[in-house]
Amino acid sequence: MNVMKKMTLPKLLNILLPILFGILFLYVWEKNGLHYLMGLKKYQLPVPSQIAKALADNKTQLLSNARYTTAEALIGLIIGSLIGFFTAVMATVFPKWGYGGLTVLSAFNAVPIVALSPVMNNWFGMGMGSKIAVVVVTAMAAMAFNAYRGLNDLKPFSLDLMASYAATRREVFFLLRLPNSIPNILTALKISTTSSMIAAIVSEFFASYAGIGFELSNALKTAKMPLAWAYITVAAIIGIALHFIVSLVETYALKWHVSQK
Amino acid sequence: MNTPEIRIENVSMVYSDNGASVKALDNVSIDIQKGEFISLLGPSGCGKTTLLRIIGDLLQPTSGNVLVCDQTPRQTRMDQKYGIVFQSPVLFDWRTISKNIRLPLEIMKVPREEQNRRIESLLELVGLSKFADHYPHQLSGGMQQRVGIARALAIQPEILLMDEPFSALDEFTREKLNEDVLQIWSKTNKTVVFVTHNIAESVFMSDRVCVLSPHPGRLSAIVDIDLPRPRTKEMRDWPEFNALVAKIRNSFEGV
Amino acid sequence: MSASLKSKLPVALAWIIGVIAIWEIGAWSLVNIFHDPMATQKLPFLHDIVRVMAQNWASLMDSASVTVSKAALGFLYGSIAGFVIAIVMSLSRNVERVAFPYLIISQMIPILGLAPIIYNIVKDGDTARVVISAYITFFPVSINTLGGIKSVEKDRLDLMYSYAAGKFQVYRKLIIPSAMPYLMSGLKIAAPLSVTAAILVEMLGTDEGIGVKILYTLYYGAGGATMFWASVITSALLGILGYVLISLAEKLLMPWQNTTSKRGGEDA
Repeated sequence: MNVMKKMTLPKLLNILLPILFGILFLYVWEKNGLHYLMGLKKYQLPVPSQIAKALADNKTQLLSNARYTTAEALIGLIIGSLIGFFTAVMATVFPKWGYGGLTVLSAFNAVPIVALSPVMNNWFGMGMGSKIAVVVVTAMAAMAFNAYRGLNDLKPFSLDLMASYAATRREVFFLLRLPNSIPNILTALKISTTSSMIAAIVSEFFASYAGIGFELSNALKTAKMPLAWAYITVAAIIGIALHFIVSLVETYALKWHVSQK
Repeated sequence: MNTPEIRIENVSMVYSDNGASVKALDNVSIDIQKGEFISLLGPSGCGKTTLLRIIGDLLQPTSGNVLVCDQTPRQTRMDQKYGIVFQSPVLFDWRTISKNIRLPLEIMKVPREEQNRRIESLLELVGLSKFADHYPHQLSGGMQQRVGIARALAIQPEILLMDEPFSALDEFTREKLNEDVLQIWSKTNKTVVFVTHNIAESVFMSDRVCVLSPHPGRLSAIVDIDLPRPRTKEMRDWPEFNALVAKIRNSFEGV
Repeated sequence: MSASLKSKLPVALAWIIGVIAIWEIGAWSLVNIFHDPMATQKLPFLHDIVRVMAQNWASLMDSASVTVSKAALGFLYGSIAGFVIAIVMSLSRNVERVAFPYLIISQMIPILGLAPIIYNIVKDGDTARVVISAYITFFPVSINTLGGIKSVEKDRLDLMYSYAAGKFQVYRKLIIPSAMPYLMSGLKIAAPLSVTAAILVEMLGTDEGIGVKILYTLYYGAGGATMFWASVITSALLGILGYVLISLAEKLLMPWQNTTSKRGGEDA
């Protein structure tokens, strides 16, 4: 059947309306409508064309700092998720003693990232290491709790089924618990991509040598508003791209899952 | 001859989904008299629930006419004359049992003292007076469904529509509730349309059983149940009862 | 119930003692084994932190209450705005069409990164704390509430429809109560975030608040290290406090959720 024919009016509106709204919003912003509405001076809020110009003019600088921050976020995300997953496995294998590990991770996670970053600066200096450490702390709790849920919220009777096969604990883990936890692991990764970028950027605000957050606060200090917005734009694009990548992995890894129907 | 309470004339229903269309009901006509207990019986896919929902104005037929109390289902619904019991109890978790029964009374702005009076007598009728202040999840499935029935009766509807109300319950609970519903019905004398896929249940409960066959949903027979009332559980062992069950079962094999 | 508590208690105690022991041993080793010149900044003794917290309790609580009051105000505004937009989105298909994709995108982008820019526009620290806390709260609350509104069971809507209930009644008696648990999980996500947002603004430059304490004590190096840690722990406690308060409110507002599902007898 023709794809265009299936595109009914409501579906078309689903796509068109937000795009039209976005364009209208940018137009109003460009024509100083937001300045008028919020009583802002020109220098306080750059218009989209200025931001676009700042993006084009500072391409190399933006890209290298974006790479720096993304590296922090991704390395921290991977290490943090591994720690979180390991903790969840421990809590599953040793239900009595292991669960405390999850509580400890959530206690770490309760420390606001802004308070955590000076602590990490003391430990790891002002370079990438301290930012990665902050990301690790934010990523590990999300993974630990989601993975734990996936490893333990099993379908009713599935443990009985495995027991009827006289499956060993090892087999139960690899044949039942681990596959069951994959959707939860991917959910944790999705949550963590956003929070990792936030953690990396916010940590860079206060003490750093490079990165989106560092350059953003520099741009603000030197009143280069369009450049500051350019950095935020880049951060947003990276956030969306990372999310998109995890979603792609999800579609391929979870062909069997109901959420993909 | 008085006019029927519910008149279903040449009703057809076609669902279209992604280009493919499924005929759920094909030219069904039934007249239901006031105070009658009638069952719509058939296997899944025969359109019995669809027909019930059309009577209750929850669905619009593709073609054909339905008149309820000499007006359209919509007008009857707007007059708040329907009491519907669904497959699941559809209770609101945040309301206690008595407040669940109160819900339609609040919507229909029944005076407060009248609300209390009705709730009290209905709780007694369904034997749940002790559980008035419990929340739904504290009750068993059978008890929850009895609350659903009490709620449907609360507004003193002209017509009671029951959509496989006991299909999720075990056989023991189901048979007990069958008797309870008949007892309540004999006291209130509503017109009842009862959807089920259980042959014995339909024979035990009804004045008439409308047998529907699937693909497309057609009315294949209307069987009069001439067992005396009140019905008792001993009747389930009567040869007449079993003969009726057999007759209905055979009417399916003919299709 | 009490039996399982009895078996859990020693485990919990062992964990608490273990964590304290590791902390103290770590702090001791930094000083005596590694001879780290930054030892007090990296990890001061836990008992020192507790002592400093006790000594400076009044001043810590003063700062904390400033932070909390700003965060709470922002949290309140953000929650109301989020709730209202969710209701409006559910009422108007077109509003939902326009707003929903942007709400989803907001979950993917580092919105807290905008905080310094907003602060730069608003200038005033008090307003900035409220605005940024509100804005951080808004997104999870609106998305969760809308999710709750959309997951109202079809049967329940049919039931209300069969009563010919008006739109207002359907919202008041069905849709809003069933969206409550979802609203609450949105609030639980947002509460610690709003505290983080307020602290972030404080560290960007205001006069008072727990974030200011963190920043100032940092400048004193080893001398301020214990107080710095005391402030960091206080800030963590504030986030936890927000979460706990919302959970408590949830229990109070939704009594049907915490009555144990003890069934009232058999069918007879």
